[in-house]
Amino acid sequence: MEGEAGFYEFLAAVDRDGAIAETKAVAEASLSRRRLLALVTGGAGALLLSRVGEARAASLSKSDVSILNYALVLEYLQSSFYTEAERNGALSGETAKAARIVGAVERAHVKAFRKLLGLQAVKRPTFNFQGTTEQQEPFLKTAVAFEDLAVAAYKGQAPKLQSKPVLVAAVGIHSVEARHAAWMRELFGITPAVRAFDKPASRARIDEIVASTHFIVKAPKMKSREKPKSTG
Amino acid sequence: MAGVEGDGVKVGGVSSRSGLIGGAAAVVGALAFSRVGRLFEIGEALAAPSKGQDIRILQLVLQLEYTQVAFYEQALAQAGLSGELRDFAQTALGHERAHLAAIKSALGPTANAKPGFDFGEKTKSADRFRKAAIELEDIAVAGYNGQAANLTKQTLAAAAEIVSVEARHAAWVRAIAGEIAAPEPIDTPMTAKQVADGLHEIGLRA
Repeated sequence: MEGEAGFYEFLAAVDRDGAIAETKAVAEASLSRRRLLALVTGGAGALLLSRVGEARAASLSKSDVSILNYALVLEYLQSSFYTEAERNGALSGETAKAARIVGAVERAHVKAFRKLLGLQAVKRPTFNFQGTTEQQEPFLKTAVAFEDLAVAAYKGQAPKLQSKPVLVAAVGIHSVEARHAAWMRELFGITPAVRAFDKPASRARIDEIVASTHFIVKAPKMKSREKPKSTG
Repeated sequence: MAGVEGDGVKVGGVSSRSGLIGGAAAVVGALAFSRVGRLFEIGEALAAPSKGQDIRILQLVLQLEYTQVAFYEQALAQAGLSGELRDFAQTALGHERAHLAAIKSALGPTANAKPGFDFGEKTKSADRFRKAAIELEDIAVAGYNGQAANLTKQTLAAAAEIVSVEARHAAWVRAIAGEIAAPEPIDTPMTAKQVADGLHEIGLRA
């Protein structure tokens, strides 16, 4: 199925930097045998090799590049947030464990988008998380808000993507963000799944919410020439 | 969605006759012949998205939602659930019922009838229920994701409102079980065949 090939191709873009390995190492133990088997026997490797390099920024529409850059800014925001909280040693127990995994995943998303976008990738903005990465309580509250926001943002944009492989990758990330949202909500002590249907949010609405946090102190620039970095 | 909880049925928050309802209702007549036989053939070499294809995919996710509703109903009656696990099962059941109603309504008279189930021991103890719930919710996420590129944009937008709720359920019950709630950077999609096999393994007897 074409969508799957695109998915593995996307995965390959991440894996070349070994970013997935970081997550996989922690997560492997929890994967059920059936899913591990599916990963191993699913022909991923063959598909990977044959399809790598097809989806590149050059072949993406202007509209897709714009959506991917928008998603990249949200991923920058999340990955920087988790990385900073981890470096501050602000977290403990289950929250620290979850944040380590989620942070690694958000960094993997950043890498994947940067790889896809190449020179068209926006640069990482400068953030000021206003103290929310220094203590567990405000950290969790902010994490819940970020993850719910990311779910609504991906949901609003994914159906607009024109490239099939990119669409398949985006929906796979969308549901991961929803898992993160539920996880952070659980850790914060609120219901992980409130409604039967999650609503999308428009770009304008997301921009408005992000602006209201004052977390972005220096806006991202287009036409990045910076090489992909491994840090969040 | 306001949908099933309110008066008029709106699908996945798509309030006009667009999305699931509009797209599906328009071709209901033409596809009355499409029954179970073709259901699980979706996924390998699909044509470009079309309303007819949407219908076949909706029949697939209908099976998924039927299975989830039956699974949670039986577990709540028989598994002796308590505490947060019971809260989870009750909340998830409410959501799955709303999903089921939305998809049935979108399919109208062509919706396949409720299949039979045999969950065996999976709905008879808290431990087995928890384990099976994780598998079922992970299948739901992978099943919806696997069809995303095959759906028309309208139906995809409606389905996207459901899949993230399934992902929340999956993460929630994983967290309750002390497992990693989000084990992968990207959720691996499943083909229709893989979803069907997974559902049969859990207890679908159609």
